Amino acid sequence: MNFIYRGKRISGIFTVLPANEKSFVEEMKNFNFPEARSLKLKEVMGYDKRRMVQPGVCVSDLVSFGLQQLFDRGLLKREDVDALILVTQTPDHLMPPTSNIVQGKLGLKQDMVCLDLNQACAGFVLGLMQAFMLLEQESIRKVVLVNADVLSRKASPKDRNIYPLVGDAASITLIERDPANTTIHASVKMDGARCEALIIPAGGLRLPSSTETAVLQDVGDNNLRAKDHLFMDGSAIFNFVQTEVPPLIEGLLARAGASKDSVDYFLCHQPNRFMLQKLADKMQIPHSKMPNNVVEKFGNSSGATIPIAINLNLVDAVKRGKINACLAGFGGGLTWAAMLLEIGGLAFCEMIDYP
Amino acid sequence: MNEFLKKLAELLEVSEVKATDELKAFPQWDSLAVLSVIAMLDANYRVNLQAADFGPVNAAEDLWNLVQSRKPA
Repeated sequence: MNFIYRGKRISGIFTVLPANEKSFVEEMKNFNFPEARSLKLKEVMGYDKRRMVQPGVCVSDLVSFGLQQLFDRGLLKREDVDALILVTQTPDHLMPPTSNIVQGKLGLKQDMVCLDLNQACAGFVLGLMQAFMLLEQESIRKVVLVNADVLSRKASPKDRNIYPLVGDAASITLIERDPANTTIHASVKMDGARCEALIIPAGGLRLPSSTETAVLQDVGDNNLRAKDHLFMDGSAIFNFVQTEVPPLIEGLLARAGASKDSVDYFLCHQPNRFMLQKLADKMQIPHSKMPNNVVEKFGNSSGATIPIAINLNLVDAVKRGKINACLAGFGGGLTWAAMLLEIGGLAFCEMIDYP
Repeated sequence: MNEFLKKLAELLEVSEVKATDELKAFPQWDSLAVLSVIAMLDANYRVNLQAADFGPVNAAEDLWNLVQSRKPA
């Protein structure tokens, strides 16, 4: 499905990362696996450092801390938050929405919209689309989009398929109207028939968490995982990305009348280095135009990885200049989404640690 | 098939893979190796396999035959 937006822009990106840093080399002894093969995994996938919350830290903690920093630094006025969209799969509670919890914690005004979106790795693009739609309303001038997850709390430490890649983060993106900005094109596809390729089986109402769902089971390849844990069918997801994402981006560029050369950066969700290199190769895009260094430094934090890729690699480019960016998110749902837009003149673009 | 066997040998970091070699007998044959092979088949033969497709595959030539049967026209 295709979308067009006019007169909107991203005006700042601010990311909160837990200060607690984990190292793959130290953690690999937890896996029941030869060291040489684990080192090979590190080399190919780009696993190295990642950020993980301390026990008990929730999404609303990271988000409240980040927003308070923006208020304290004078980068955002408390009363200017007309809408708070929070994209997460790891909410504090099933009910109420975590965005309402953040609003209450920070004492934001009542005259606003709080909205949780349960979206995964495509959550940055889906969140931007929602922000642009809200900005069609006269009463909404600034939207705060938050992509935050603490998926490390749902990953089995004994599962080599998922544990070494998961990171925690909260990215805060400010979006507002700008009549001068160029047209933004977006494209989204969904396939719920393949929803079990990325799933946390227990903990919802279909299969409530219990002592049974907490039992670690041998799931093959010497990996142990419980029903409470995040499961990813790695080879299915790899094929999904290689098959579905290139035509999505090519269709988007064609509709926008843009060529691959006219795009300065392809800013994709960061599952691991391997998948991004293969995606770039398949699309014949030079690796330098598709950053893939988020996982090795911070881990894969789901919907926050695209803003982190900007924070990490393009601060000068988006603060002093302007880039023509093609965003692409893909993952749980399954959902895959791409967006072509100019990003520039940002008032802030940085990352801070959550103590 | 020679080119295919050479690529398998590269991925498994061995000097040679013969058509009759059992893939699962290589100590390097694990989920990472399977993913690397899936990526290689996608890039070089435009064939998309899933990890489950490797179930009935024993010898390297079984994989070659599977790739041939899945090759786009």
